[in-house]
Amino acid sequence: MFSRLFNASALTIILTSPLQAADDISKQPWSEIVEQAKQEGQVVWYNWFMQPRFRQLVSGFEQEYGIKVTIPDGTDDGNKSKFLAERERPEGDIDVMSIGGDNLAKFDIGTYFAGPLDFLPQFANLRTQIDGGDSKGYAVAYWGNQTGLAYDPTQIEEKDLPQTFEELTRWIKSNPQSFAFNDSRGGGAGSAFVQAAVRNTVTSADLAASNYAAAWDWFKSNSNDYGFTASNADSLTRLNGGEFKIVAAWEDHLAGLQQKGEIDKRMKFYIPKFGMLGGGNVVGVPANAKHKAAALVFIDWLTSAGTQEMLSKEMGSALVNSLAKSAGGSIPIEQRAFSTERLGAEQSVQIKAQFIEKVVLSQ
Amino acid sequence: MNASTLTGWRKAAIITLLLLPGIGLIFLLVGSVIVMAIAQSFGYFNLAGESVLSLDHWSGQLANRLLWVSVIYSLKIAFVSAIVSVALAYPIALWLRNPFPGSASISALLKAPMMVPGLVAAFLFINIISFHGFLNEALVGLGLISTPMRLQNDRYGFGVMFLQVWKNMPFALLLLTGAVQSIHSDILDAARDLGAGALSRFRKIVLPLTLKAMQGALVIIFIGAAGDYSFQMIAGPTKVSSLAQYMYTVQHEFGQWNDAAVVAIVLMTVALTGSLFLAAMVQFIVAGRRS
Amino acid sequence: MSRTRLNTILIALFLTVIFLWLAIPFAMAILWSLVDPDHAWSYPDLFPQKLSFGRWSEMWATTNLAGALANSYTLAPLVAVMAITLAMPTAFAFGRLDFRGKAIAQFISLLPLVLPGFVIALFFTSLLFKLGIYNKFLGIVVGHTVLFLPFAIRILSVSFSQVRQDLIDAARDLGAGPLSRFSVAYLPVLKPGILAALIIVFIQSIEEFALSFVLGSPDFTTVPTILYSYLGYNFIRPNAAVVSLILVVPNVLLMLIFERLLRSEGAVTVGGKG
Repeated sequence: MFSRLFNASALTIILTSPLQAADDISKQPWSEIVEQAKQEGQVVWYNWFMQPRFRQLVSGFEQEYGIKVTIPDGTDDGNKSKFLAERERPEGDIDVMSIGGDNLAKFDIGTYFAGPLDFLPQFANLRTQIDGGDSKGYAVAYWGNQTGLAYDPTQIEEKDLPQTFEELTRWIKSNPQSFAFNDSRGGGAGSAFVQAAVRNTVTSADLAASNYAAAWDWFKSNSNDYGFTASNADSLTRLNGGEFKIVAAWEDHLAGLQQKGEIDKRMKFYIPKFGMLGGGNVVGVPANAKHKAAALVFIDWLTSAGTQEMLSKEMGSALVNSLAKSAGGSIPIEQRAFSTERLGAEQSVQIKAQFIEKVVLSQ
Repeated sequence: MNASTLTGWRKAAIITLLLLPGIGLIFLLVGSVIVMAIAQSFGYFNLAGESVLSLDHWSGQLANRLLWVSVIYSLKIAFVSAIVSVALAYPIALWLRNPFPGSASISALLKAPMMVPGLVAAFLFINIISFHGFLNEALVGLGLISTPMRLQNDRYGFGVMFLQVWKNMPFALLLLTGAVQSIHSDILDAARDLGAGALSRFRKIVLPLTLKAMQGALVIIFIGAAGDYSFQMIAGPTKVSSLAQYMYTVQHEFGQWNDAAVVAIVLMTVALTGSLFLAAMVQFIVAGRRS
Repeated sequence: MSRTRLNTILIALFLTVIFLWLAIPFAMAILWSLVDPDHAWSYPDLFPQKLSFGRWSEMWATTNLAGALANSYTLAPLVAVMAITLAMPTAFAFGRLDFRGKAIAQFISLLPLVLPGFVIALFFTSLLFKLGIYNKFLGIVVGHTVLFLPFAIRILSVSFSQVRQDLIDAARDLGAGPLSRFSVAYLPVLKPGILAALIIVFIQSIEEFALSFVLGSPDFTTVPTILYSYLGYNFIRPNAAVVSLILVVPNVLLMLIFERLLRSEGAVTVGGKG
């Protein structure tokens, strides 16, 4: 038993040095990697959202390469826990791992992922920085999403929708408990709104100095008039349940739930003029993946322009390949201009922590 | 084997052998895990970067108001859930002690909540108390209230406590039923014949004789409620976190692994000491009455 | 008030409570599970616009629900039996013997209960990986058994403490061998405890997510994986309702069986504290 305890402490040494495994594969020509992938014959992709839908949509890849794609059921934390816990296994179960862009700073990328992936054929067109996170080349973006406000057109008309932050403030005051956003611990839509509030109430000088007091004052002065829900899904459920008229939401999340019949299809989505952030997720190959070649070929397919256009059309994602062409979609193109970037990792964490401490817990 | 005849090293050897498969296994495996968690709280296993041995995580967290607010909240939830669950289970166990027509079905129905996964129970609960859920619609329909009430995520944690009791009362019932049934009717009859009232019989006979079972139920329910995450996430107040929720926040939202480990150790300590305190308090109250 | 009258009133009270406590939540769940996939149930409708079994067939066909059920219901009984077996000697020691260090041993027996979720998901699993238990099923069995031993130890300790010493002595004095002493003096009192411990460990194993997901996924999925998928980010309440109801049926059946077995003890007349 004691030797195992020492092994455990040896982890600390292992955790600080990157694995060499992927270097070999990065030196091979791409055609060889594809051949190897076909021989491997299968790839396991851990994604935490819309798995059933993705299972349908990857059939194109399966047919083209003859490689079977397994997308297991799971949850955001479950997948992350598995990913982190598997680190010491010589071979893990995960071949391709999805991570939210804003989560990239939370673990040491170089030791968990194989890479860097700059040898991928389309690497030049792909993003390694998204949603406030930087993958340092070890993971590439495959999914872009947009936050905004979901609303019930039977409760509020399009022309009455608040567009500027002042309009929103006035609207909240005259329609108490009709607007809601969620606790950041239950999903990103709420923290997207908090960042929007920060950007619209705090001067740029204060923002650079990390002084967010103006934003917390706004929240405190409006605390009786806005609703505060438990999670992304809770906001949308309560919109659907008629409790709120406007909620902060993810565009793709809303589309997915509408497709599954959880939320009524009449609900609409818009990006207000005061801007809400666009985020995204990245995929990488764990250092101990069993089917590295297949994983790389799959990532290449997933991030290709054609696949990106398909995902955008089918699931409402935003494009992350610079060569992909937008097919339009339910939101007018002009509104897309209001999309903003998430603030950097350090500031995002500060804002979250301060929001929880100064606004949520002090009431 | 008669316990009193065992002495010395023979006794020690036999005790060790008896404890090995259960306690021994726990000590080895869970002990190692706890050691790893403690190590992480001092800086090791920093999954986000370099591991540096440091006391800062401890000093930082112990000085953090959020931690202590969560401790008090979790203690409150745990105490109330455990005590109410057991308090509800006792009269039911006593009622069902002697079989009567229908008592078997009643017993089964009462234990049904054990079979419902906690997560499902929480969502069913939210469903019912939601703004346009069954409860509000019924009350509005009956004219008892004019507008729906906002019951979700109430600020005192009543939703969480209700769910804990809903889920745990059957467990307490299960433990207490066996204990209550093992009380020989002779004693209770004799006590009644001697003029002892129902409450007196309960305090002086039932409680002391079922003490161990009650303590077992209290301890297990307390620990479970102290470490609750999912009920809190779904139905709990937004203005205060449970310890497990705070731990999750530190870990997932802020990516501070070592601080999260500190909170984990605090959580374990709180759960253990709180439950043992509860058991001791109950022992004192019940044994105190004996004299 | 006579006993039967009191009973009748209590039963009436009970039925009202049960209606609120159980029937309504379940009715809601059933209603949600029947929501047609193409017509979401939203305000202001008091009832779903369209009911259909579409979700049931879709869930059964597209998710690995059958496999997960098979896995969970194979895993849980095994874990229950193992936990009881390993707990018996310790429970005997706790329930019937006094020794130095008993309090410490009892304290240690509580440790698995207090392990927080992420400690289990990250450290316990990596420990099991390191021990070389790469067979997923076995790893989860070991993990679950250790995690739920405290329940078995506690419940069985209480049972052991209820065994009457005078019965044991009488049996020995009458010349009975250890095995028959056990079946006459111990077993009748232990049976309710064993059954209670079996069912509680069983339920705990069926509901456990963190360990079974990290160790088992993707080859060995359990029911909680599917449940958490639909009740978390991808919160699709009708689908979750379907899974919950599918889960509840075998659980209730098992409950009834155990209830029948527990009942048959008629414990009031059998031994117990004098």
